[in-house]
Amino acid sequence: MDIIAVRNLNVGYGSFEVLKNLAFDIPAVCLTAVVGTSGCGKSTLLKTLAGLIPPLEGDVFFRSARVDFQSEASLAALYRGIGVLYQDGALLNNLTLYENVALPVRMQQPGMPEAVLREMVHDRLSQVDLIESAAKYPSELSGGMRKRGALARAIVLDPAVVFCDEPSGGLDPVTSAHLDDLLLSLKETFQMTFVVVTHELRSIEKIADKVLVLHEGRLLLDGALADVHTSDDPFVRTFFLRKADHDDT
Amino acid sequence: MDENGPSVIPLPRRLRAADIPAAFKEIQAGREEGPVTVDFRGVEDFDSSALALLSYLQACTSDVRVVNISETLDHSFRTFLGGTPPAACPGPDLDLPTRALHSLSNRFLAQMRAVGKFFVLLGDEIYYTFSYITKRKGVYPGEVWNQLFFMSYKSYPITCLLVFLVGVTIALTSAAQLKLYGADIYLADLIGYGMLRELVPLMVGIILAGKVGASIAAELSTMSVLEEVDALKTMGVVPEKFLMVPRLLAVTLAVPFLVVLADAVGIGGGILVARFSLGIAPSSFLREMRTAVDLGDFFIGLEKSIVFGWAVVVGSGYKGLTVGRSAAEVGRATTESVVLSISLIILIDCIFAIILYY
Repeated sequence: MDIIAVRNLNVGYGSFEVLKNLAFDIPAVCLTAVVGTSGCGKSTLLKTLAGLIPPLEGDVFFRSARVDFQSEASLAALYRGIGVLYQDGALLNNLTLYENVALPVRMQQPGMPEAVLREMVHDRLSQVDLIESAAKYPSELSGGMRKRGALARAIVLDPAVVFCDEPSGGLDPVTSAHLDDLLLSLKETFQMTFVVVTHELRSIEKIADKVLVLHEGRLLLDGALADVHTSDDPFVRTFFLRKADHDDT
Repeated sequence: MDENGPSVIPLPRRLRAADIPAAFKEIQAGREEGPVTVDFRGVEDFDSSALALLSYLQACTSDVRVVNISETLDHSFRTFLGGTPPAACPGPDLDLPTRALHSLSNRFLAQMRAVGKFFVLLGDEIYYTFSYITKRKGVYPGEVWNQLFFMSYKSYPITCLLVFLVGVTIALTSAAQLKLYGADIYLADLIGYGMLRELVPLMVGIILAGKVGASIAAELSTMSVLEEVDALKTMGVVPEKFLMVPRLLAVTLAVPFLVVLADAVGIGGGILVARFSLGIAPSSFLREMRTAVDLGDFFIGLEKSIVFGWAVVVGSGYKGLTVGRSAAEVGRATTESVVLSISLIILIDCIFAIILYY
């Protein structure tokens, strides 16, 4: 079953079109990697799927319901079902890690008893191995810790879909591999759907069930990881072979 | 244009970056007369800027023809720029008045859009504030008190110091003039009326713009750049409510505290000058001041100050929330927030003056 469907999607800033005529589906409980070169529109696609950038044309469907980007109610329904891990974590700097993770619960479920909330936050921080740092502020955490903390915040309300914008970006290989393991474990344990923007090939090989390859705002490939290796598209082949030009001879 | 066809512009043997401006100027001058043919026959010594010029000229198909491109130049062009589409040909430059008109109209439209966005934010803030007061949802618990602490306790020393100095300065300047006419005692009326109704509200507003407004704009714009505002949205939180309502409520509560203190120290400065410069006893000063001002004047000053405080918070919040994505814009938003806040304060003060005195 598909949890997200995109049809004829064009997204841009002013008259500049970043994404052109995209159409694809994202199945539930699947980890979809969105890959492509820098500036190809990966993060723009992620923000559109997360309801932050209204498309110029086309539709996004979440759990079969069309997302109306002009309707607060429609966006609120979308936001209730998703979590987002931003590129640099985007933890609020004036709140401790504990309060950051508790924030979505406090805002969306104001009546949540403090004792239960404490357990929820404790569980999530344990899952990302940050329970010892709960009282620290984001400025006191390393890059990897901030990303794990942001992941804990993104999943605290058990969203159906978690969007991750370059989770491995700027991290060392060990921390990056740990984060990959964490995403896989969360997907298996909580039956979550992940959409991960990345250009880390090693990470894609390890975690992706499905791959979307973008190039200059167009979708070049929509398929399983195995399809990447059998693709005839010169860009897809050169991208995954890590060559500088598109010549695959 | 030549009677026999397009004028031919031969390019020099050496066509490097330093030679391009002269060649380009000659070509553009020719295009103003009509179609031109640019002859590359003589070009032997060239760099990538010559290739860029060739790319540009090839895009200007309507009035430029390029001829006699040597094999070497053509090979270099295909090697370096073969895959790059030429930039759109802008044609000959527009004349100065047309360019000025374009620029002015674009700026005017951008300003009008900005004014529209500001009023939309203002309307939203009024709605969100009443919605929070009635439903108590959408704002982080305790944030109003944090902001109140920053706006009142952290702001009162500088407010008192500056208002005291302004009180002393105004009293000294006025005392010298009043002494000439033997009207020394009226210094009390002048200081009381001026401080309560005009100077304290303005000073409190300007200090809030510099201290609180700049801080709000810097904080919110940094949050925008670091995607924290986007993060709030995807958590189902309305950033305009979550971030702005506590500040609006805090400034509403902080301003009366600051105004009472500022009124006291401003008048205190006047009393000191009256005592030591004119020899007027503090009791006489206060007795005379009470004949000129009453509680109504205090409340007019207070109302003005609260409205100035709202203007500072909304103006700075607007600048902070409409920032772009680069770190450099944080500084720009902060500076602009102070300018906008002070402009709003003076505009509102003028409106108050028209309502109260006209």
